[in-house]
Amino acid sequence: MKGGPIGAGFLLGACVAAAGVSSSRLESMSHREGSASVLYLPSGQYLKVVSLGFPELLADVIYLWSIQYYGDYDKADRYVFLEHVYSSVIAELDPHYIDPYLVGAMIMGMEAGDHEMALRLLDKGARANPEEWILPFEAGFICFDSLGDYERAAGYFERAMAIPGAPPATRRIHAEMFNKMGDKRRSLAHWSQIHDTADSDYVRDISWSHVHDLMIEVDLETLTTAVASYRSLHGRLPAALADLRRAGLTDRIPDDPDGRPYQYDAATGAVKSASPWRLFRKGNR
Amino acid sequence: MKVLAIALNTFREAIRDRILYLLLVFAVLLIGSSRALSLLTVGSEEKIVKDIGLAAISLFGVATAIFVGVGLVFKEIEKRTIYTLVSKPIVRSHFILGKYLGLVLVLAVNVSIMTACFYGLLLVKGWADAAIASAVFLTLVELLLVTAIAIFFSSFSTPILSSLFTVTAYVIGHVSWGLLMLAERVNGLGRGICHALYWCLPNLERLNVRGMVVHGADVPLDQVLTATVYGVSYTIIVLGLAMMMFRRRDFL
Repeated sequence: MKGGPIGAGFLLGACVAAAGVSSSRLESMSHREGSASVLYLPSGQYLKVVSLGFPELLADVIYLWSIQYYGDYDKADRYVFLEHVYSSVIAELDPHYIDPYLVGAMIMGMEAGDHEMALRLLDKGARANPEEWILPFEAGFICFDSLGDYERAAGYFERAMAIPGAPPATRRIHAEMFNKMGDKRRSLAHWSQIHDTADSDYVRDISWSHVHDLMIEVDLETLTTAVASYRSLHGRLPAALADLRRAGLTDRIPDDPDGRPYQYDAATGAVKSASPWRLFRKGNR
Repeated sequence: MKVLAIALNTFREAIRDRILYLLLVFAVLLIGSSRALSLLTVGSEEKIVKDIGLAAISLFGVATAIFVGVGLVFKEIEKRTIYTLVSKPIVRSHFILGKYLGLVLVLAVNVSIMTACFYGLLLVKGWADAAIASAVFLTLVELLLVTAIAIFFSSFSTPILSSLFTVTAYVIGHVSWGLLMLAERVNGLGRGICHALYWCLPNLERLNVRGMVVHGADVPLDQVLTATVYGVSYTIIVLGLAMMMFRRRDFL
């Protein structure tokens, strides 16, 4: 009985040590866990039932957890259930919660490298929140910047700019998508509309630069095509651009946007503009 | 006057039970969470703080309504003070009504102070929004109904069972929309039963506009008024049933 307090002290110390060691070991085991912990996260439809009227709060909790989880680079397989977490859980619990769509799409695209998954999430968000321009805008930006799919990007930007509150730059990005996909005439039409309806000198100046260069590009394309047609019809190059009009290959010979006539080299058939480009673009310098 | 006297005594009793300490927990939770969130979240801080504030007001209120409500009648019986009361010229339904109003007063004070704390934090952060008031108001209406349900069960059952029944009613009240989903999967009598249950059971989701408010959506005034009429009507029905049950109870 005399050794009682000492024995109890040893026992207590041993217990503290055992608890500390086991706790530390369990902590390291939980880091190895990887995606297994997400495997058991039920769908948002079921979680909505157990949230007892607080689905928005539960969505907050899972969103906060997801940020910490996907920010842990030690978990190599953390992206396995990425779409489930953001699309099937958080978006189902609170379909009007915008940030998880944006952050989720960013993780899917930039971290996991799955841009189609990001687009699916943003599409789901846009269906649930048709008044939010940011969702189709972000989807358009992914198509433009990451996928290089300008036609699809134009479609998203068109949806975004139809929503009240969309920034004016959306229209300009939308117009530029047609230029990127090679449809200079449609791009010119959109840029001209932006220029004609501009409400600030800044927008007027930017849009005029695009209209200016696109007009030259469209004119040069038209005149070069007409020169080629003339050559195939007459077996020689036209002596001057006016010959194209006389041959009925063009209605008129336009001047460039600065009012200068286009320059024609009768020896080579090349047509060029006397005015300098206003924008620096690949191939126009 | 007798109802008022019982109500005021119930209020005093709850205050003596240190029920207002909950408010301290609420304030710490709210301020602590808003500080922690700035470290944990990417955007959405405003939305999450509003979610936590509204949920805390509702959950603290429901916890008070259930755990104080179910003990109100039982304590009088356990301490034998009910014999003194029923021997006096007091109508039994007045006793129930007084107990109910006393607890409602406690809840109203609790919710008011919690809302003031909440608005204080939102003002400091620059997120104050008048629409929050409509969500808090409908939460109070929900608490009126939950309190009535707690008193109804406590009028004929023990506190433990009453707590269990009231929590069950609260859960059902928030998931009764599932009955409509179930009704779509069954035919005939089953569908009729699902629909009957859906319309008869309390639907507490009708009093929940928290989601709309945190997302900045307008809560139409007629929706708030209609929900209030629904909640108050249901409360009166449940309270009436509680009075009927209590009137039939034999204390001898």
